[in-house]
Amino acid sequence: MALTVVPSFSVSGVWKRTQFPVSTESQKPRQKKAPEFPILEKQNWLIHLHYIRKDYEACKAVIKEQLQETQGLCEYAIYVQALIFRLEGNIQESLELFQTCAVLSPQSADNLKQVARSLFLLGKHKAAIEVYNEAAKLNQKDWEISHNLGVCYIYLKQFNKAQDQLHNALNLNRHDLTYIMLGKIHLLEGDLDKAIEVYKKAVEFSPENTELLTTLGLLYLQLGIYQKAFEHLGNALTYDPTNYKAILAAGSMMQTHGDFDVALTKYRVVACAVLESPPLWNNIGMCFFGKKKYVAAISCLKRANYLAPFDWKILYNLGLVHLTMQQYASAFHFLSAAINFQPKMGELYMLLAVALTNLEDTENAKRAYAEAVHLDKCNPLVNLNYAVLLYNPGEKKNALAQYQEMEKKVSLLKDNSSLEFDSEMVEMAQKLGAALQVGEALVWTKPVKDPKSKHQTTSTSKPASFQQPLGSNQALGQAMSSAAAYRTLPSGAGGTSQFTKPPSLPLEPEPAVESSPTETSE
Amino acid sequence: MAAASSSDSDACGAESNEANSKWLDAHYDPMANIHTFSACLALADLHGDGEYKLVVGDLGPGGQQPRLKVLKGPLVMTESPLPALPAAAATFLMEQHEPRTPALALASGPCVYVYKNLRPYFKFSLPQLPPNPLEQDLWNQAKEDRIDPLTLKEMLESIRETAEEPLSIQSLRFLQLELSEMEAFVNQHKSNSIKRQTVITTMTTLKKNLADEDAVSCLVLGTENKELLVLDPEAFTILAKMSLPSVPVFLEVSGQFDVEFRLAAACRNGNIYILRRDSKHPKYCIELSAQPVGLIRVHKVLVVGSTQDSLHGFTHKGKKLWTVQMPAAILTMNLLEQHSRGLQAVMAGLANGEVRIYRDKALLNVIHTPDAVTSLCFGRYGREDNTLIMTTRGGGLIIKILKRTAVFVEGGSEVGPPPAQAMKLNVPRKTRLYVDQTLREREAGTAMHRAFQTDLYLLRLRAARAYLQALESSLSPLSTTAREPLKLHAVVSIWVQGLGPTFKLTLHLQNTSTTRPVLGLLVCFLYNEALYSLPRAFFKVPLLVPGLNYPLETFVESLSNKGISDIIKVLVLREGQSAPLLSAHVNMPGSEGLAAA
Repeated sequence: MALTVVPSFSVSGVWKRTQFPVSTESQKPRQKKAPEFPILEKQNWLIHLHYIRKDYEACKAVIKEQLQETQGLCEYAIYVQALIFRLEGNIQESLELFQTCAVLSPQSADNLKQVARSLFLLGKHKAAIEVYNEAAKLNQKDWEISHNLGVCYIYLKQFNKAQDQLHNALNLNRHDLTYIMLGKIHLLEGDLDKAIEVYKKAVEFSPENTELLTTLGLLYLQLGIYQKAFEHLGNALTYDPTNYKAILAAGSMMQTHGDFDVALTKYRVVACAVLESPPLWNNIGMCFFGKKKYVAAISCLKRANYLAPFDWKILYNLGLVHLTMQQYASAFHFLSAAINFQPKMGELYMLLAVALTNLEDTENAKRAYAEAVHLDKCNPLVNLNYAVLLYNPGEKKNALAQYQEMEKKVSLLKDNSSLEFDSEMVEMAQKLGAALQVGEALVWTKPVKDPKSKHQTTSTSKPASFQQPLGSNQALGQAMSSAAAYRTLPSGAGGTSQFTKPPSLPLEPEPAVESSPTETSE
Repeated sequence: MAAASSSDSDACGAESNEANSKWLDAHYDPMANIHTFSACLALADLHGDGEYKLVVGDLGPGGQQPRLKVLKGPLVMTESPLPALPAAAATFLMEQHEPRTPALALASGPCVYVYKNLRPYFKFSLPQLPPNPLEQDLWNQAKEDRIDPLTLKEMLESIRETAEEPLSIQSLRFLQLELSEMEAFVNQHKSNSIKRQTVITTMTTLKKNLADEDAVSCLVLGTENKELLVLDPEAFTILAKMSLPSVPVFLEVSGQFDVEFRLAAACRNGNIYILRRDSKHPKYCIELSAQPVGLIRVHKVLVVGSTQDSLHGFTHKGKKLWTVQMPAAILTMNLLEQHSRGLQAVMAGLANGEVRIYRDKALLNVIHTPDAVTSLCFGRYGREDNTLIMTTRGGGLIIKILKRTAVFVEGGSEVGPPPAQAMKLNVPRKTRLYVDQTLREREAGTAMHRAFQTDLYLLRLRAARAYLQALESSLSPLSTTAREPLKLHAVVSIWVQGLGPTFKLTLHLQNTSTTRPVLGLLVCFLYNEALYSLPRAFFKVPLLVPGLNYPLETFVESLSNKGISDIIKVLVLREGQSAPLLSAHVNMPGSEGLAAA
């Protein structure tokens, strides 16, 4: 067997480098009786017991003694010393010691595995793969080798090979870690369905692993399959009631349903464990917003913003709350900051336009609306608000165009999902339609009669505001905020409604996921 | 050995609610000087007088003075030195004869020392391992001087490369030697027969043919060469031999040797192998992906503690049942068996000074100890049925007795929502001023916005103007001139050293272009001649190689005796051009030398 990576140096040469003093006792020529050699493995058990207890100081002392006695021949002592070096972060030293072990007993796959592991930790993935392949020749049926080969291939971005190896590992022996890695590959490739398949199998195999449950729940959440998402997140919370990710995700779902008090109690647990989490304070802030405690909402959101100043979602929410509080100048600042970080979202421009309208800067408001209309594809609210703005100074023609645009979007949404529209928005649209003298061609789905959402919408939309001239700033702001405060529940994956404000999820598991903003913002 | 009585038990003050505790503090001696593992603790009625003693195979402080200690009550009864470190201790019944006093077996190195009535009775040594025939052959040749050391070395190396089993230590030592030392080594050792000896890593007992409490038991040994041996209790012959893929660390046995038994061995490669009576090789394998730190069988469930701070439950076929996360690293584990209530539970000593007791995954009890517990043992001690013996990392000994009224109830502490859920959220408060400002913003939002926008535009305008001015007059210490064929990037930075009246002014010039050197630059200082004098106010700059930092030094003499300081302007010019490429203003410090005078 040829070692490709391991340089074949003499063992004594290595020992000079690795500072275990070698006693010269037995090298003295003796005349008569040859000395008895000590048993090499005499204290291996003791080294091991100290090692698994994480009592590394005692372990090192025994190793040193053992190596002095055996002149550096005790393979296991070197092996554990290397493991400790690696735990202490001295990866290069550990690599050298593992190579020594590999020289001392070339038939051991374990030594090669450790050499490869150290190479892997040093970021030398190709070299690690070579050594793992050597080890695989010695031990065909080791899931660990296949698994680690798979992980190396992931880092080399050779996903097909990685998948093969990971499946191989699963065939040999099933481990949670392998499932997680396999799921990660699918996520990196952007294949959510396959990732879900993998995680499903993993959860079947290990039903109490909270990490698996949480990840699966989050994946379902991204696909909009809320029932299953909630089920898995709930399971995760049963096994570990303080799981940060699961609580945040479950809380955000409760928020979507308007269960602000339940969500808040859940968040308390996280608030104790992870004090400085921006998404947590964002969600708490939005709970207070939902409960109409605006000052508390602003406090929490500002804390979130302080912790994560570059998160546009928090800025968006801050803008929204300030709009509701009729602090348009502040709202303008938060929204323009959000736009700087996320220039591709129509809703942001729409909110900015609402703020500008209220600040009596109609020119810029129109420009913002134009941008919003340009960017947005499915939110009828953008067009409605724009139409109202255009209608007021008398640009009936343009207003009509926007109104028709809105009708298109509405009918599109109705086709794709059983989405219910905000009653206030419907009312406003009908009024505008009447004012523009368009025939009532649009059949709105009935607003939900759910008492919870009823409570919400009615309380925000003060009847008085509708007595004002159509589309006055006041009414607009109200329409905006209530529509934004109203949480719809799209059930199909196709038509996602974006007028809910995004409650932040905990750290998205994969970078690939983050790249699809429509998914994450829900 | 402190003769501490139970009166000093309040030293175990960690157990705050003494009255609610299920345990009586019988004894605590932080200076007991016992350093051992759970495997080296055993409780037995060694003299057949109904008084159970504690046998401790003590490693001694730092593993230096191995001793066999026998404790009776809080006192050490006998203490005798051991030849080597004890790996495991076990008590077992050797024969059916009366009086039925158990023998004590102590595994140490390659031997098992068997004591009866605390007197040495028998020493069992592991058989020598067969040497590699090729290796044996080579050394025989060397003995007859038919082979020279170099060839011997080559042959031995080829054996090491290919053979499954390792070489003898004699050969390994030989391979390490330098050329000059080989001859002597061969001459010295050639007459020795080559030996391979292994050592015992773990030991447990297995009932021979009866399931009774006081039935005759065999010893089961795990060895360093990956084997399990079952010894006959009377003749100490090897009854059975099984091989494992790795070195066993912990053993757990159930059943009877003559009927049917199951053997679980946690090994150094992080796997647990399960063997049965008729299998020479493992039947099932549990892969932990971490090192096991303890292996306990509770009824039919194997409970394994892993280095990932968790307890796992497995069936006898290796299926994972449950996992419990621990708050700290597990140091040791043992079985708690309360016969009177038929309770079997797992005790785990944690690094944070807790001992947790679990029945399956339900936490039954937590004992807080003053130091991290490194070995545990529960059973009959003295005349008390349910005694818990713990030794700590610092060598302390803790003995606790389970109250006779104590009943373990599942999940006393960790059921329901976590306590954090009841805590109030720390929402930042807002001041009166904030509310006032909010109101003001509502009233005059538009005006505020407009004022802000105007100011913002003004600010931008001013910034742009200043920037333009700086560009036009080359007032910046950073130049990026693109007009010339030679593109010059240069950076200047200036240090002023000294207290006065003489200062040293060091100008650092750096050509930041990547390839082209710069030639023909001039440096000019502009200053008030009434205040300062410079030896050279104008000089040429040498060729500037890209990337290097050129320090150009000049002295400045302060002429004013009033401590006035002024600005010195430094200009970097190109030959033949009047507009400077770079400029910098140096705020000269006041001359402290004069001010003091």
